[in-house]
Amino acid sequence: MTRGEHLSFRTGADFELELDYVVVGSGPGGSAAASLLSRAGRTVALCEAGAWRDTPHMPASVFGALRDLFSDFGQLMARGRSMIPIVQASCVGGTGVINSAICVRTPESVLEGWGTDHGLGDFLTPAAVERAQTEIEAELDVAAMGDGQLGRHDRLLLEALAMTDREAHPTSRNARDCRGSGACLQGCPTGAKRSANLTWVPEVLTAGGCVLSCAPVARVVFEGERAVGVRGRFQNPDRTYRGPRGAAFRVRARRGVLVAGSATGSAPLLARSGVRLPALGKGFRAHPGSGVIGIYPERVDPLIGTTQGASSIHHSDDLGIKLESLTLPLDLLPGRLSGAGATLARSLAESSHMAMWVAAVNAEAQGSVRCARLPTFRGGPYGKNIVSYQPTKKDVARLRAGCATLARLHFEAGATRVLPGIHGVPVELDRDRVHLIEEAPLDNRAWTWILSHLFGTCALGDDPARSVVGPDLHVHGRRALHVVDASCLPTTLGVNPQHTIQAVARLTAERLANCEAA
Amino acid sequence: MSASVRKRWRRTQVRVLSAILPPTSFVPGIDHERCSDFLARYRREVPFLMQLALNLSVLVFLFSPPLTGAGLRPALALSPVRLERHCAGLARHRIYHLRQATLMLKTVAGLVWGADPAVRDSLGLAPYAEDPRDRRRS
Repeated sequence: MTRGEHLSFRTGADFELELDYVVVGSGPGGSAAASLLSRAGRTVALCEAGAWRDTPHMPASVFGALRDLFSDFGQLMARGRSMIPIVQASCVGGTGVINSAICVRTPESVLEGWGTDHGLGDFLTPAAVERAQTEIEAELDVAAMGDGQLGRHDRLLLEALAMTDREAHPTSRNARDCRGSGACLQGCPTGAKRSANLTWVPEVLTAGGCVLSCAPVARVVFEGERAVGVRGRFQNPDRTYRGPRGAAFRVRARRGVLVAGSATGSAPLLARSGVRLPALGKGFRAHPGSGVIGIYPERVDPLIGTTQGASSIHHSDDLGIKLESLTLPLDLLPGRLSGAGATLARSLAESSHMAMWVAAVNAEAQGSVRCARLPTFRGGPYGKNIVSYQPTKKDVARLRAGCATLARLHFEAGATRVLPGIHGVPVELDRDRVHLIEEAPLDNRAWTWILSHLFGTCALGDDPARSVVGPDLHVHGRRALHVVDASCLPTTLGVNPQHTIQAVARLTAERLANCEAA
Repeated sequence: MSASVRKRWRRTQVRVLSAILPPTSFVPGIDHERCSDFLARYRREVPFLMQLALNLSVLVFLFSPPLTGAGLRPALALSPVRLERHCAGLARHRIYHLRQATLMLKTVAGLVWGADPAVRDSLGLAPYAEDPRDRRRS
């Protein structure tokens, strides 16, 4: 093969290539690191388990999106007392292809905490992170959504927050030219979302690197303690494919291996590769969330406008929650509404009058991620990797307070009823019965959760007992092995993580390139 | 599983999904023919565990009327009024796993229903374009 080539699923002879760096995973972290190393003159191989889909390839239906863009058809679940679906993509560009493109700068208090509690003060200084995020914002066209881009569901939330003297702002997104098609989850149909499949990954190719798509990495290869490459086998993304199995590949890395397989994927990959550290796979954290739907007398048309155009951090400190508007495709709405049969159908008939707002909890719960132990369950009951996670009572209490706040905001904005979607609470509530949400059970099985912001399992830190990656950016006890995705973030952020992941990955890559130059 | 058994099972699945999301005077329910085609595609294209989850959920729905107080007969043999009571009872049942089975049925029913051009038209939404099912190959 030649450099600057994209290799997708192929059969036939096994092959091997050698470049300066291998990056495993092409999401916001992996692609940010790969593009920076390419700019520094290094040759990079970017290995991605999913397929590379450009704008014309984006599915229109949710079924198509689950099949073509999501990890294991969206069946990845966090298991605990309740089963919580995890929103995670498997495609070139990673979850940045299916998220709402929100870019929020890392709160300074979080960076200070990482400095004092995790020994990262020299690496992730507020000034360095700010510089990286400023550069990224310029590259990815990050901008606050304008009036013309906001949907009515967004504007109603902004109005309700303003009426109640709460902080409110239109979200900043890497989609300056967003046309408000409300289809972020299915991959942007217009190409306005500047996800990595359209930006940084093509840049790696242009700079002479290689992109391997449909190429799940099975193991990192070591010589002694040094990571020298990866190996895996191409996998056809089409489940109806019945031809010969994919070719095996081995990519040798002259300078290092960067793992960016996500908070649910990186730790199992390292464990499969023989890395044994007490903190590996531990400390999985998230921002679990749920929503409240308001029904308005006039049409809201929630599928017109940006998917998530309005946000508030007003209750970040006192309640530990972030409030946001959210568009849910019609295909997913029945799963979110309470009831079944005629009750459900009657609710759905009002879908054009609904606005959905969500509360995301800055949760204290910690879970873990591991490979399925029994080979027969590989790819097993909860997806390829097993995620154990259970929100604590305190987390549920925060969510409950957040949902009650959202319900009251709906009534401030003019809703006639709300649909809280909580087991043990009536399907519909009017203004006089909102207090029932505050009396809802603290059992997490009563709530309809979703996990969309994931952190940890390969945390950065100076203590090998509590972390996986040291402040020197190498995995403890290994050389030339680095982690550059959400899994290396030691705590939750309280804000959307994409921008922080990109900045940390970029700063890691920058330091690697500079160290070599020195 | 023989073709005829598979066909009967699919018909049962369609009737269960239709009970979960029936037509109303405001919006159409699940189109049986479209749903049958969708389930054939679902069987071909989704991971085994998702198929298993759907099949188990259908079985739970069929044989749980005694648990919802809707009667002793299988769900599809109930009168329309009792079937409706069964749907509502299962969706808010105190046993978490029964509620989860209903959630699975609602999710699959939603995937069929929400992509139906007739439904989308009735709600003022444009129909979905065909999924391209393609990727960058080189």
